[in-house]
Amino acid sequence: MSVKSKLLRMKNHLQLENKNEPAADKIETPPAPKQDKMETAFKDIGFEPFYFDGERSYRKRILYPYATEQDYDLLKDMERIKQFWGAELSDHPLSFNGKEIDRLLFFDTETTGLSTGAGNVIFLIGYAKLKSEGIEVTQHLLESPSDEAAFLSGFLEDFREDDYLISYNGKSFDWPQVKSRHSFIRKELPKLPEFGHIDLLHSARRLWKHELPSCRLSIVEEKKLNIRRTNDIPGSMAPILYFDYLNDKNPYELRGVIEHNDQDVRSLVHLYKNLVMKLIWENDVPSSGMEHYYMGEWFDKLSIYEWAEKHYEHAIHKTTTPFPQVYYKLGVMYKKMGDKEKAGKYLELALKQGASPPVEAWIERSKLAEHYEKDPAKAYDYAKQGYQYIKKNGRFNEKKYTRQLADLNKRLKRLEKKQAF
Amino acid sequence: MFGKKTLTELIGELRNDPQVTHWHEVPEEEAKTSPMPEDMHEKIKKALNDRLINDLYTHQRSAYEHVMRGENITAVTPTASGKTLCYNLPVLQRHMINPSSRALYIFPTKALAQDQKSELNEFIDEMDVNINSYTYDGDTPANIRQVVRKAGHVVITNPDMLHSAILPHHTKWISLFENLETIVIDELHTYRGVFGSHVANVIRRLKRICRYYGSNPSFICTSATIANPEELSEELLGEPVRLINNNGAPKGRKHFVFYNPPVVHKQLNIRKNGTKVVNDLAARFLKEKIQTIVFARSRVRVEIILSHLQELVKNEINRRSIRGYRGGYLPNQRREIERNLRSGETIGVVSTNALELGVDIGQLQVCVMNGYPGSIASSWQQAGRAGRRQDESVVIMVANSSPLDQYLFQHPEYFFEGSPETARINKNNLIILVDHLKCAAYELPFNRGDTFDGEDVTEILDYLTEERVLHDTHTQWFWMNDAFPAHNISLRSAAQENVVIIDQSAVENHRVIGEMDTFSALTLLHDEAIYLHEGTQYQVEYLDWDEKKAYVREVDVEYFTDANLAVKLKVLEIDKEKQAGNHMIQYGDVMVTAMATIFKKIKLETFENIGSGPIHLPEQELHSNGIALTFAEGTFNDEREDVIEQVLMGMAHVLQHVACVHVMCDKNDLHPVPEVKAVHSQKPTVFLYDRYPGGIGLSESVYNQINHILKESLDFVWECPCEGGCPSCVGVGGTDSSLQVKKWVLKLVSQAASYD
Repeated sequence: MSVKSKLLRMKNHLQLENKNEPAADKIETPPAPKQDKMETAFKDIGFEPFYFDGERSYRKRILYPYATEQDYDLLKDMERIKQFWGAELSDHPLSFNGKEIDRLLFFDTETTGLSTGAGNVIFLIGYAKLKSEGIEVTQHLLESPSDEAAFLSGFLEDFREDDYLISYNGKSFDWPQVKSRHSFIRKELPKLPEFGHIDLLHSARRLWKHELPSCRLSIVEEKKLNIRRTNDIPGSMAPILYFDYLNDKNPYELRGVIEHNDQDVRSLVHLYKNLVMKLIWENDVPSSGMEHYYMGEWFDKLSIYEWAEKHYEHAIHKTTTPFPQVYYKLGVMYKKMGDKEKAGKYLELALKQGASPPVEAWIERSKLAEHYEKDPAKAYDYAKQGYQYIKKNGRFNEKKYTRQLADLNKRLKRLEKKQAF
Repeated sequence: MFGKKTLTELIGELRNDPQVTHWHEVPEEEAKTSPMPEDMHEKIKKALNDRLINDLYTHQRSAYEHVMRGENITAVTPTASGKTLCYNLPVLQRHMINPSSRALYIFPTKALAQDQKSELNEFIDEMDVNINSYTYDGDTPANIRQVVRKAGHVVITNPDMLHSAILPHHTKWISLFENLETIVIDELHTYRGVFGSHVANVIRRLKRICRYYGSNPSFICTSATIANPEELSEELLGEPVRLINNNGAPKGRKHFVFYNPPVVHKQLNIRKNGTKVVNDLAARFLKEKIQTIVFARSRVRVEIILSHLQELVKNEINRRSIRGYRGGYLPNQRREIERNLRSGETIGVVSTNALELGVDIGQLQVCVMNGYPGSIASSWQQAGRAGRRQDESVVIMVANSSPLDQYLFQHPEYFFEGSPETARINKNNLIILVDHLKCAAYELPFNRGDTFDGEDVTEILDYLTEERVLHDTHTQWFWMNDAFPAHNISLRSAAQENVVIIDQSAVENHRVIGEMDTFSALTLLHDEAIYLHEGTQYQVEYLDWDEKKAYVREVDVEYFTDANLAVKLKVLEIDKEKQAGNHMIQYGDVMVTAMATIFKKIKLETFENIGSGPIHLPEQELHSNGIALTFAEGTFNDEREDVIEQVLMGMAHVLQHVACVHVMCDKNDLHPVPEVKAVHSQKPTVFLYDRYPGGIGLSESVYNQINHILKESLDFVWECPCEGGCPSCVGVGGTDSSLQVKKWVLKLVSQAASYD
């Protein structure tokens, strides 16, 4: 039996990964050009060919000139941000260290899949730069998987050691992917430069993880930047559209992905500006109480207490319902800063807010009483209150509370002994 | 008052036991040694000297010399013969010559990898050199992985990890692949059948990536005793291999005892249940706190024996000092059991062959096998669990009523003198090959004219292009799919998807307690099945077939369940055929449909049938290879159809068992189907087929040695002491002597066998 007929017979046993069915409801697409007309077709959608070692790749550069007042504000705000990082908080994860703003690359890729292995190919690299006259978007398109060297060289040519990458999930996805593709042709291409990289997904998660159903860029755009896209094709369609293109050799089929990527990189500019301004100029871009709380927590974790305190305070002022968690955080933070008095005060405040203060607050208050105020009776009191709270509210079924209950139990026993002497 | 009995006393008692049918003593053996190789680095010599090793066993020295000459080797090494030095010495020497050289160690299981890492690291410490050796498996924390990739001189892993984590991500492993000089494959004999066929393809992919990065590593393999270690390694590696079999390690005295349970029903030749006998024998040793391991062939048996043993010895030792050990337990559970065995906290273990591999669990003195493990090699592996440290030890094999066991007990010389089995793989099984070609294309594009380690695969690549999995640029094929192919391909189980077993006894806290391949799940995890796990009974409340989840709840019942599988077979194409007397033997492609039909509830103590129920699961379809033994027109004259059916069933039973011995496979890998009127020939036929999609070469091997198998079958049935047929020779259906099944089978086999 021929291999072919055996293959057909055993088709049910073969796991053919989701066959790449052509994308349904395509946008109206002109017919595929003849092979020698490919360049013309690419030019039609804005791409110019360039050559590298006999391979061909395509590049598109387009300038979105500043037109409205908001456009010019964007540029001014970015300049202000640059000044700020140059002078303050230069270690902050969002800081680009006072570099010129035209060194920032707002960067995104489209790939043939979501896996991070050797078979996942980048077919579109896009980045936006802030120029004096407008936002410039550059895109590189992989004409065929055999032209990867030309494709990546076009990108590397454009890219300097002192550039700063700003991406969305680029640290764990796009950039490792670039590195992986680069390693295939590392002998033909220059080394990948080392450079700064700011991943906005991390920041977005800190602020909005609890509020948004997911921190996908499209959702953040819609809910937080008020950008609504029309006729956008979802990013998940990108692989299929590229497979269609490879099959039909019709560049027009890629227009949707190209447009989507272009939008993405421009959105990143706005998202970056918005995030930074929320963090440092709360009057210019106001935030909700919860956002202030999470920004405070972020600064707190970075040990930038002055800024943490500011955001925590805003969180208190902007929230009308009881918010014991902020007081607790402040209490713990003051303790870390060495201000035991304020720490005690805020922990006590935390316990007075509403009906369900965090159990940790009793524990922390008890610790403070035991170790700094040297008052075992008071420490015992707080521990006891916490213990009774858990018992009374019947919350000891949850794992976290079981642990706390055990902690409190131990604490109480020790304190009993301490008081005895 | 009873005093403590020693092992020697218990062996003495056993010698007088009338049920012992054969006693084989493996004498002590002196060590054969050879001086240290002169070129070996001083630091290695010193570390060996510090361990009081002043010369090498002969096989260790040969291994060293051939590897240093750049040859691939396979060292055949029985348990406890110092095989680790066969690979560690040359690997370390290569490192001393070229400090940037890297090595990759592949062990069949994670547990083995862990053991070997500690051993190697101890040695490296004693050498006082800077060599990093790490394990890389599913348990390796993410932050360590980076270090392993960049700086691991020796990376220790398993085939599954290589397949799904290392090869598909080779761009993260450049420094390993560029500098790879040695690949160590331990326990080579375990890579047979489906698993071996998969692993052979993983090695093809590994070699392809090494070539891409410009390295050309040599292979060091070790294997237990099998008939064809050289052939298997050459098949597996796709390269010539030098065999090293001049074992020089000393051995302790070992008693190998065949124990046949007494006949309890004379006419039917029914013997006392083997499981009970095993329990009694094991308990004798356990009560004296002599560390004992019991091997059972199935997971269910493990659990049954475990609970009985725990009950039997509860007055002498703590229940918890006897543990179960089998696949399906979660890794940390298994690690804990291994630790306790070594520390001596655990005295007894009941295991499936998961422990057959050389995990060093210390000094077990006694090994009891519940039935013949199915192959000579496997038996010796299991026997090797007892007396690793050169002390006296005893191995007791208890026969079941199965024809295979009885055949072996009739012919102890077959076991002790016959050559061990042949291990086979079929790396070009179309389904396995296609699976790995996808992975290979994902890893690196195929150039036109490329082969897959010598195999022309153009047609398959074209097919995958048509299916829009690959993209053909006329010079190259590229992976063009958003999937990650390695994730859908499991090296270990026939069916690629596993059923997850979820315990919902605690309402708040559902937990996953194990998993099982889909084919086994048909008969073991259907609704209402009793599933045993670590001695605890669970009842399957609901099997969600679409989601591949079985929800179970703890129960306490007095029975276990046993399910029937109805099988239909269709011949698709005949590739080869030959005459067997008047009858005909054919080999070709078959399609099998299997459906679980009903299950029986069987009482634990007495094994009587106490109820049954239906199973509603979808039919499973399987394309495979098979053989058909078709009987000539008029063979049965006017015999009644139900008689013919019984005869064919008896025939199938005999053929399956004898064939399994000769092609070295589990009984479940080669399945028989008797048909009174086969669709393709309209004649009475007995089929045997490979129970894996596409076949793994078992039935082809049966076809090639069919005459030998027929002759062996004749001897076997002839020598069975029963009168008119018994479950041990022609199967349960053949016990009605009025049907004369035994006589018929003898007649048919002798007609078919040729004595020219």
